[in-house]
Parts: sequence; C-alpha cells; structure tokens
Amino acid sequence: MNLERNTHFINLDNLVSISRGNSDRMLKYLNQFQELIPERLQQLKKALNQDDRRQIRQILHKMSPQLQFFGIQDIITPIQRLEFEYETIPFIELEALGNDIIYKLEGATKEVSQIIETHFE
Amino acid sequence: MSNLKSTSKPIKCIIIDDDPFIQDLLKDKLNQYFPEIQILGLGNNGQEGILKIQQLKPNLVFLDVEMTDMTGFEMLSKLDAITFKTIFITSYKHYAIKAIRFNALDYLLKPFDLEELKNAILRFKKNQKSNNVPVALQNLKLKQASDQILILKTQQGELHIQLKDIINIEGERNYSYINMVNSKKELVSKTLSNLEELLEDKGFFRCHKSYLINKLHITENPNGSTLFLSNGMKIPISRRKKDTFKNWFNNVVI
Repeated sequence: MNLERNTHFINLDNLVSISRGNSDRMLKYLNQFQELIPERLQQLKKALNQDDRRQIRQILHKMSPQLQFFGIQDIITPIQRLEFEYETIPFIELEALGNDIIYKLEGATKEVSQIIETHFE
Repeated sequence: MSNLKSTSKPIKCIIIDDDPFIQDLLKDKLNQYFPEIQILGLGNNGQEGILKIQQLKPNLVFLDVEMTDMTGFEMLSKLDAITFKTIFITSYKHYAIKAIRFNALDYLLKPFDLEELKNAILRFKKNQKSNNVPVALQNLKLKQASDQILILKTQQGELHIQLKDIINIEGERNYSYINMVNSKKELVSKTLSNLEELLEDKGFFRCHKSYLINKLHITENPNGSTLFLSNGMKIPISRRKKDTFKNWFNNVVI
C-alpha cells in the first residue's frame, strides 16, 4: 500500500517498516493512535488547566513512545523538558509548551484521520 | 528473520506494559525478527503481570518500569521467586534507569530500536544463568547506601561489590580501577564518569578528573587541596572542585 507521504506533523516511516505491506497491521497502529492520543490530549488539557504537574508528566511520559513512533519529532524535546522539569518550570513556560504540544498533536490526529479515510474506508 | 543463531528451545516470554501500543509494537517486532521467541501472554498492569508470570512461567519478561498500579520493581518484589530474566522497558531517561544500571540489569528504550532489541536478546541468551534482580530488590530495600551492592560486568563475569568496601576509584581512559578495603584492585570497563553517575548520590565524590572517593574512607582533609584515605593514598582535589568539595565535605561527611 502506498500511503500519502506529504504529511506535515507525522512521519510514517516506522509504520511502513513495521507493517511490511500488511494493511491490517498498518490500520491497527493508525486506529490505536486515534483511540489513545485524543483521549490523552483531553487529559493533558485538563491537567494543564488545573496545573496538575504530576499528571502532566505522567500523560506525556505515556504518550512519548507512540509519538516518536509516528515521527512527531519536534515535540519530543519539549515533552522531555516537561517530563524532567515538571516540578520547577514556571507556569507561563509550562502553559506555552503544553499548548504547542496540543496544537501539534491535534494536527497529527487530523492527519491520521485523513490517512484512514483516504486509504482504508 | 533474526541473524541470531536460533536455540533448540524456544524462549518463552511475557510482555507486561499498560500501554496497548507498546504491547503491540514489541509483539510485532519479536514475531517478525525473533522466531525463537514465543510470546506466552501479555499483562496490562503489575497485578496482571504477577498472575501471568505465576501461570505461564516464562524465561524472559519484558517489564514496564512505570505502570499505573505499581512500578516494575514493586511488581517483582511481590513475587515469591524470580525464575526468569527481566528486560525493563522504559521511555527516554526515566529516573529508574540509574537503579537498573547500578544493578547491571538490562533495559530497552521505547519505541524499541531493532539493533538494541537484537543486542538485548543476545545478552539474554549469553547470560541466562545469572539473575541480578534479587540483589537489585535487596538494594532497593536498604536504607544505607553504603550497604548496597554495586554490580559491574567484567570480562570474567560480574563483580558484586558492597559500596562500603570501595575506598576510591581511579579513572584510566575507558577503564577504572577500584581500590578495595582488602587491598585488591579491580579493573572494570567503565569510565570514571559512568561510575560517578551511578555513585554520586551514594556518598561518593569526584574530587579530581582521575579520582572518585568514598566519604567513608576519608581519614584526613588537612588543607582543602589534598586528602588522605584509609588505605594511605594521598588524593589531590582539583582547583576547580575545591569549593564544591568543601560544601560536600561539610554537608555529607562531617
């Protein structure tokens, strides 16, 4: 299966590699992204609103491998910063980094949806 | 297919992680590249992991460091016997990596680089007999860091050293010499920086580019630029470390 590769937020190289041309396997990972990331995004927004730093760290820690797998590289550094400085980082910076992560993950989620619609429905 | 030589007996493994993505990814990679590995089951959390281990009796467990109900180490401590090897799985630079490395345990970073996975499986095959998890669990229980046992891999096998038995460590490029209370000098293939990272919060201080010292063995600190150890060694304190050494000495040693 040839996937549209001109994505802006995500990079599908890892997905293509693990799927080895098996479209069911590819869809499994795409669906999993659609199931897990929006839910965790909601949790992240809530935790940011409440300045619940421990929760922010846990959500980001949990999401991070899946985001790396989907090639969303430019949020890995801010995620790592939030993971390690979650207790001390000033709220303004925490909010700005959090909002940037949310923006990019919403973009990534839309791209994954489009790929599913275009290639699997 | 794996380039690794397949053994006659399959390696029976369990994956314990509360993230379905990680479970699937590791399962697919193992199935694709390691035909000698048989995945007996999956555990979604620590509690399930305990049950699966007891029921399925694996040789190898891939274990998440941080799960929603407990940590990987907590899960292991709840088992009556540990008859399997563990490869911890974790995200980038988790704080538990230090404890994993201190005890010479194996770990993989999510989302699993294939070469690292191959090397971890190879290490598992080579070292099936040794199991450092019981020592690691004992170390985690100890209140005094000096009672903990540091495990280091050597060409001959493994060194188990109680921290209070280390007087100091001398760095020599990619190797280090550990001077012990019994006058032995052990050579290990770790840099002084590697060891500093493992020991800096356990009563050790890097007072010079070539020396890491154990607070328990300082006998004299006459002038702030040298110190004497219980084995009679005179150790220099580098000029740029003088102030930090002074603070450390006043807070940690005295």
